[in-house]
Amino acid sequence: MTRWISNEPGEEAALLSALGIASVDELFSDVPRKARVGRIGIGAGRDELEVVTEVDRLLARNRPYSQFATFLGGRIAPRYSPAAVDAIVSRSEFYTAYTPYQAEASQGTLRMLFEFQSLWVELTGLDVANASLYDGATAAGEALLFCRRLHEGERFLIPASLPWEEKSVLANYASGPNLRVEEIPYDDRTGRLDLDFVRRAVGTKDVFGVLADVPNGFGHVDEGVADLKSILGDIPLVVAADPLSLTVLQPPGAYGADVVVGEGQGFGISPSYGGPLLGLFACRKEHVRASPGRLVGATFDVDGERAYTLTLGTREQHIRRSRATSNICTNESLMALAFVVYASVVGPRGLAELQQSLAEKARTLASALGALDGLQAPRFDAPYLGQFTLELRRGTAEGFLDRLRRRKVLGGHSLADPRPGARKEPERILVAATEFVGEKEIQKYARAAKSALEATKEGS
Amino acid sequence: MTFRQARWDEPAVWDLGPSDGGEAPPAIPGIPERLRRKSAVRWPELSELAVVRHYTRLSEMNFGIDTAPYPLGSCTMKYNPKVSEALARRSAAANLHPNQPESTVQGALEILWRLERILSKVTGLPEVSLQPAAGAHGEYSALLMVRAYFRDQGEAAERTEVLLPDTAHGTNPASAAMAGYTTREIPSQDGCVNVAALKAAVSSKTACFMLTNPNTAGLFESDILEIAETVHAAGGMLYYDGANLNAVLGVTNPGRMGFDVAHLNLHKTFATPHGGGGPGAGVLGAGETLAPYLPVPRVVKEGRKFRLDYNRPKSIGKIRTGYGSFGLDLRAFAFILAHGEEGLKHVARRAVLNSNYTASRLGKFLPRPFRPLVKHEFVLSGAPLKERGVRTLDLAKRLLDEGVHAPTVYFPTLVEESLMVELPETESKRDLDHYVEAFERAVTDTPENLHAAPRNLSVRRVDEVRAAREPLLSWKDLREHAAKAERR
Repeated sequence: MTRWISNEPGEEAALLSALGIASVDELFSDVPRKARVGRIGIGAGRDELEVVTEVDRLLARNRPYSQFATFLGGRIAPRYSPAAVDAIVSRSEFYTAYTPYQAEASQGTLRMLFEFQSLWVELTGLDVANASLYDGATAAGEALLFCRRLHEGERFLIPASLPWEEKSVLANYASGPNLRVEEIPYDDRTGRLDLDFVRRAVGTKDVFGVLADVPNGFGHVDEGVADLKSILGDIPLVVAADPLSLTVLQPPGAYGADVVVGEGQGFGISPSYGGPLLGLFACRKEHVRASPGRLVGATFDVDGERAYTLTLGTREQHIRRSRATSNICTNESLMALAFVVYASVVGPRGLAELQQSLAEKARTLASALGALDGLQAPRFDAPYLGQFTLELRRGTAEGFLDRLRRRKVLGGHSLADPRPGARKEPERILVAATEFVGEKEIQKYARAAKSALEATKEGS
Repeated sequence: MTFRQARWDEPAVWDLGPSDGGEAPPAIPGIPERLRRKSAVRWPELSELAVVRHYTRLSEMNFGIDTAPYPLGSCTMKYNPKVSEALARRSAAANLHPNQPESTVQGALEILWRLERILSKVTGLPEVSLQPAAGAHGEYSALLMVRAYFRDQGEAAERTEVLLPDTAHGTNPASAAMAGYTTREIPSQDGCVNVAALKAAVSSKTACFMLTNPNTAGLFESDILEIAETVHAAGGMLYYDGANLNAVLGVTNPGRMGFDVAHLNLHKTFATPHGGGGPGAGVLGAGETLAPYLPVPRVVKEGRKFRLDYNRPKSIGKIRTGYGSFGLDLRAFAFILAHGEEGLKHVARRAVLNSNYTASRLGKFLPRPFRPLVKHEFVLSGAPLKERGVRTLDLAKRLLDEGVHAPTVYFPTLVEESLMVELPETESKRDLDHYVEAFERAVTDTPENLHAAPRNLSVRRVDEVRAAREPLLSWKDLREHAAKAERR
């Protein structure tokens, strides 16, 4: 039996005798016999050392990206997090707390969330940020529903270049209220959004929102996003932005975004094979009552001292039930802590420098790969920060990446939707510069890519 | 016991150092000028020590399970084993990207696969997906599955209604509405579903009945088999909200009770930390009818290899990024490995024992509106306090002064001035007795003291009305508010 279930000598007997019963079985007399199970059917328990040994044995079958030259990216970034971040996140006063329902006992959580909200406001140029959503994709889904509360219509426009996973999540969020998600085509040379398509769609009067991402699903920065709001007028514009990019790019609020969502994982949160992540959401103050998620507000205590509390709860499920702005209850508070501590430790200058350094590495990588025969890198003629898309002229993305892996290079990921029946796309790979690579790894990638392409030529 | 929470006169992080927004960061080649940030992000430049000290001080003005009993009902605030924290931080767990080739993540896939098999046994439902990010997200995903199923049956246009008891968690009706359903509440009788009312309510319009068992009044729905039969006879699906599974581990399970689909909260039953409000994990289990609709990918085992399978034509697709929260799945996996069959059963038995013991003792101070036999949690009514001009809220604040956390208050709404108490299996009898004594001191204190509580925390009673009337939600708001005040 674990030490985690309380087992002080004699205490169970004392509890039973206080209740005047002989066995705990009596406390389950309300469970009908026909509904009972004899056993769960799992193995016997283990002591802590055995658990560690078993989990470590399994983990040893993983090869973390730290064992490779890593060029994996997308919305989730392998990124170094200063040890101070985990030291704070590991404080159990934070991680063993729950939602700060009792404000007076939870000023620590409330204050860090207020700081987190403030940081996302500063990065986005909007007015109000919530205390977190699950991840970037579900934050986009919530933004879709939010837009529908602000504007009539049935159609929500998204870039055709959006990662397939996010398209699928958005399709699900749209499906409840029977809304339609439509893809804005992109220019084949630059990957830029077809703004004429947006103009025409807006002209039909049934578009209730438009989402654009910065950088886009190909890793590129599309100048056209800055023109969207002038086309949309009062139709809400959602920008899905990478937080790090916002340390060097114009805050989307400045070019008319009504909502800015994002994936916050890159700020102090380990990728952990995809979770937990951090959904970011900001909007304009006049729309706050239509917004999803918890909000922390500043107020005072009875002595007139500054204090913080959850507020505007009448939007939320525990009060508004079926008329709530979202079903979200548990969010990603601890990840929000990591986000704000990371940004505060690295500082605004350090963050901008990091983004610049990644952009420089990405340029070096693009020119090293672009020189190769058999692929186009970058595939699109458009500016980029730390990521870009390459396209293979022969062979498959899967085969190419597998050959790289054998040479200890994780060369990015295929942009293809892996579901059978998905639309056939060109063989494209999203490649990211990470902090963990330097000139040596970039040249290693180029050499591995060259030999992979040559092998494909021989094979074909 | 005397309790004093830290009371640091700690400024906000932006007041710790210069944060004027500064000049624009250097241009990045190729980025168009109009998209370039014109001034640096307004956030302070601080030494690492300044940041560490700031957040350490904030942490000291917070309650956690490690600080004190935290008996929030339906939240299952049990001890979060430290070994799980250590394991989740291993490089071979933390430094895995979700887009790594499958050959490099065989260990992770095996852990996920094994956890799914275990949770399938725990739920009695054949297929499990770890994808949902939290309980409410699991509810929502399950309802999308129900909807997709009825679409395939050609019944989607007719089955538009989700039924739920009036004791349901708020997330249930909110999830149903998001999934496109109208909701209808079934009144309770003595804290449990009124089966006659349910029978009268089900129809060919019923898509689903959402139920948690034990329910939020802490009572086991003993009519569960009849409830299942009723819903199924009407052609509807039965959804299990697993928030309260802790009470019945190894005693019964959703599959056995007749549920078609269920979510579990790893952060409740399986002890992954609540994190000050998250992250959670809302594992889905599905019976044979709904299993084909589970989100993709699924983890499959082929020979000795594991891979992600996207070939599920009926699947609702993706509901979030990545496969799930592996960092949490790993913690739950370690928790379950440690407990094993007997341990998990003992979890439920001890949780229910703790709950009944505490209920019988606290029942001496405040009325218990329902039958005495409870499961993992119980409800008290603070209504009699009103005679002394005291409310449940005052009692909750006074409890904080004792160095223990308050129960959930004002839920379930069925009970006037309700308190919902859950002290799980990790609390010792000594902890329970200590809680009861603290409760006794609080509930018998003078109205003046109850109104004046709390006194021993980092702040006194917080003005929530003011926060809502004039929302100040960020540093930007505070700056603008201060500027406005100056002008006046």
